[in-house]
Amino acid sequence: MWFGRFLKSSIGKKLVMAGTGLLLLLFLFSHAAGNATIYMSSEVFQSYADELHSHPLIVLLFSLLFLAIFIVHIGMGLFLYYENRQVSNSRYNVTTRVVKNSFSSETMPYTGLFILLFLVIHIFGFTFSTGDVPISVTVKELLGSFFYGLFYIASFVALAIHLSHGFWSMLQTFGLNHPRYDYAISKLTLIIPLFFLILFAGIPLYFMTGLGTCY
Amino acid sequence: MSTINLTLKIWRQENSDSLGSLEIYPLDNVHTDMSFLEMLDILNEKLTKEGKSPVAFDHDCREGICGMCGAVVDGIAHGPEKEVTLCQLHMRNFSSGDTIVIEPFRSRAFPVKKDLLVDRSSLDRIIQSGGYISVNTGGTPDGNSLPIPSNEAELSMDAAACIGCGACVASCPNGAAMLFTSAKISQLALLPQGQPEQKKRALAMVAQMDEEGFGNCTNARECEAVCPKGISIRNIARLNREYLFATLSEG
Amino acid sequence: MELNSRVPSGPLAEKWNNHKFTNKLVNPANRRKYRVIVVGTGLAGASASATLAEQGYEVQTFCIQDSPRRAHSIAAQGGINAAKNYQNDGDSVHRLFYDTIKGGDFRAREANVYRLAEVSNEIIDQCVAQGVPFAREYGGTLANRSFGGAQVSRTFYARGQTGQQLLLGAYSALSRQIHAGKVTMYNRREMMDLVLIEGRARGITVRDIMTGEIESYYADVVILATGGYGNAYYLSTNAMASNVTAAWRAHKRGAGFANPSFVQIHPTCIPVHGDYQSKLTLMSESLRNDGRVWVPLKAGDSRQASEIPEEERDYYLENKYPSFGNLVPRDVASRNAKEQCDAGKGVGNTGLAVYLDFAEAIKRDGEETILKKYGNLFQMYEKITDSNPVKEPMLIYPAVHYTMGGLWVDYDLMTTIPGLFAIGECNFSDHGANRLGASALMQGLADGYFIIATSVAHYLGTHSLEKVVGTEVPFKDSKREVEDRIDKLLKNSFDGPAGKLTVDQIHKELGHLLWDYCGMSRNKENLEKALEELPDLVNKFWDYVYIPGSGKDLNQSLERAGRVADFLEFAEIMIRDALSREESCGCHLREESQTEENEAKRDDENFTHVSVWEHTPPGEFPKMHKEDLVFEFVKPSQRSYK
Repeated sequence: MWFGRFLKSSIGKKLVMAGTGLLLLLFLFSHAAGNATIYMSSEVFQSYADELHSHPLIVLLFSLLFLAIFIVHIGMGLFLYYENRQVSNSRYNVTTRVVKNSFSSETMPYTGLFILLFLVIHIFGFTFSTGDVPISVTVKELLGSFFYGLFYIASFVALAIHLSHGFWSMLQTFGLNHPRYDYAISKLTLIIPLFFLILFAGIPLYFMTGLGTCY
Repeated sequence: MSTINLTLKIWRQENSDSLGSLEIYPLDNVHTDMSFLEMLDILNEKLTKEGKSPVAFDHDCREGICGMCGAVVDGIAHGPEKEVTLCQLHMRNFSSGDTIVIEPFRSRAFPVKKDLLVDRSSLDRIIQSGGYISVNTGGTPDGNSLPIPSNEAELSMDAAACIGCGACVASCPNGAAMLFTSAKISQLALLPQGQPEQKKRALAMVAQMDEEGFGNCTNARECEAVCPKGISIRNIARLNREYLFATLSEG
Repeated sequence: MELNSRVPSGPLAEKWNNHKFTNKLVNPANRRKYRVIVVGTGLAGASASATLAEQGYEVQTFCIQDSPRRAHSIAAQGGINAAKNYQNDGDSVHRLFYDTIKGGDFRAREANVYRLAEVSNEIIDQCVAQGVPFAREYGGTLANRSFGGAQVSRTFYARGQTGQQLLLGAYSALSRQIHAGKVTMYNRREMMDLVLIEGRARGITVRDIMTGEIESYYADVVILATGGYGNAYYLSTNAMASNVTAAWRAHKRGAGFANPSFVQIHPTCIPVHGDYQSKLTLMSESLRNDGRVWVPLKAGDSRQASEIPEEERDYYLENKYPSFGNLVPRDVASRNAKEQCDAGKGVGNTGLAVYLDFAEAIKRDGEETILKKYGNLFQMYEKITDSNPVKEPMLIYPAVHYTMGGLWVDYDLMTTIPGLFAIGECNFSDHGANRLGASALMQGLADGYFIIATSVAHYLGTHSLEKVVGTEVPFKDSKREVEDRIDKLLKNSFDGPAGKLTVDQIHKELGHLLWDYCGMSRNKENLEKALEELPDLVNKFWDYVYIPGSGKDLNQSLERAGRVADFLEFAEIMIRDALSREESCGCHLREESQTEENEAKRDDENFTHVSVWEHTPPGEFPKMHKEDLVFEFVKPSQRSYK
């Protein structure tokens, strides 16, 4: 079957990573848009959350879809990591990386796994534990605590590092690499990770520094 | 002209079945105008006269075009100078007292045969699987019957400059042959003559590449950085595109 | 030895067509029953293998490198000639023919050269169809440039890597046939001997370089495409593995060797910079368009170029040849450079170089203009020598580049051994005593793509061949001889290297001998001296050569030793050939044959022939035969560059 062959091929696997990566990026944008309301006021944020949860079927569907994408992205990523390790394990006595700033590309699996850890904690903290407490209060309480907040910030730094290779890499895998778009791509490669870092990491900072207490 | 004194650490391996190790050879009075391979020649003359076995390494044209030579020097395929093959790397890139570690190109698909000499026939098999335009000799249309824009021809030539040395594979953290394969795919995909077999070619060559045991591309860009002919990873992007479209319509 | 050139009769322009018609054919269904061996995968070998396989023959192809893509055709820079007349500047098949035969100083066969010019156009079409990325004009048509020895723009090119691109085209066609199972490819095999059965070439004996195994292969036809023998001189622009062994072994089995002394020496190479040097690198001849060649007026002047004032410089080419100046032909430029160095006026560390100075051109046209023209060459020069030609003059010196001589072949490219063909640089056929730029690629591909298949069909169609299986006595004998020879090479090495010489040491000595006595300028006295010294060198080789390791596995020293042993034997006919050709022609000056102005003087009356050497048993001198060259359609003219 052609799809099976595609999935087994080296480029196919990369395209799966890039495709799921793109979907995850879109999810991040929608999540970020919702989160941004927190900077306006806790009421706006609460009403956004309430509105979202008044459509349980849609939420369930999207959650499942998101879960599936995530599993594929992580599963394929781990599989590729395993395959690549078999090759790279102590091939040379001396290894010199010629490419500057190869940090983000070399650490993709680690930043990825860190994000996974974050995700588990995040979901248990927010999605399953709200009970009767309004979400805006949970956010305030949890993210206001120092270690919890710090963990969140660290996770968003990991996300930014992950994206700074992932975004460019995704476009390259899709075949989008042309002198005409070099400038735009290089800027976006910088802007997108920073955008998420500022927006997401801003929230725990917002509460940790006490700026969010008045709301 | 000046001379330098070096300590060489060279990978010695009797044959593909035996275990190898790094051996240390001091080498004095190396002229800085020598090429790296001439330096190895001198070492081999010295070893021969001492009754030791000379270091086996592949080489032929010694002007950077045949693609036969290559070793990993201090962790970098073809050594520290950019866009040169090992035969065009000169000893003036090194200083007296340096220790130089010389290892063979390594990949699952490049078994070491002896010392620095490896078997790269896997690259040939990738080309055999589809890296050509299927025309027989004779009966071809006039060369000018098919106008090709000058810039397309130039882009095609950029990709066609690949010498098949395998440095891209050797330097890739995953031992992928994507730059090599994509160079041939790009060369032919950019020319109108290559269009009829475009999809078939992409599918066949990638399948062969995978079968040979080359690794996955993780866009680490090391291949481009060490390529003696400066072949760009834009070609890999083109290969990805070609492969995706080919899979969606013919795979 | 019978030399029947089998040149078809009739008008020049119709010979090839008529010949194709009168030649016998092999029915497509029967072709698969015939096996063809091709040795070598350069332009000629790869294109011949692919073409014969496409036509249905079973082909076995052998190459010495790890891949058929690496043969030395790959290093050709300039381009490939064809009589397309795309530029509308008066080119034609006849003009390409005339330029080539005149460039060869009228020492080639008219019919062969005409056919070469005729098929040149098909070569371009073929290569374009294969996806060779030739340079294009903005409108999309093929671009041309002009090249030495021609007044028209007829050279097609792919940057400075034309040879590479054409070879990769032929390699891709070959790869396609390997994939189709029509060609069996044997990499890392060195041909050690030719096997004859009942006087016909029926197979080869090869050594597997990786395992040391001696193997026999049988076929109905054997085609040699094993290149030239420039490495006899040790230093040349050839690749390290280029050698004469295959051709020489065929010669020893009865193939005549034609014009072995015709060697082209290229004037603009980067000079030798030390005795460790392994190879010479060519710089494009175009540099002489703007560079001025000079040496110090005084012998032994060790000052830097910049410290030598204008009046103490000798612009010897401009002074001697006022009308052509620095643009005299290759042979004249080479010869004069050597003359200056022999007179002690050479420059550089070794005293074996002359200056090629761009200072005046830079002053006249500006640095930018000069860099635009020669930037990549300057860069290449600087990479190798660490000296910037904009700041200090380049150092250049002549180097052995191409060998016009080779196995004698008839019009069908068959040697004097039935069933043995030679194509490409390996044969002697088309370049006479001197090869024009951008013609080597043309000849290799013409032979491989468009000529050899007709010849093979004719041979198979006119002879009924007995079946062989590769285990007949001649195969076994050949194998044993090859093994014995390897044992003989290794016999001195059992007790270690003390008091012995390495292969390279002896090869260098041979190189010096040939360069000094049988180089671009020759005389009877020196050639006789060379003949006298050569046997000592041969004895020294067999008595003192030390080869580490054994013959049973990969042994690069042993490989080189075998090649040097053959160069040593081959050198004899090279020197004898030079000695017997008492005229100056093409690339060579025979000092006894000069005009009053000390220019090369060709002697058409006595030397309008091909000298073909026959191998004789030990103790006898090699025997020379002559194939007289008849010029029906062109009239040989004398060159003058004053």
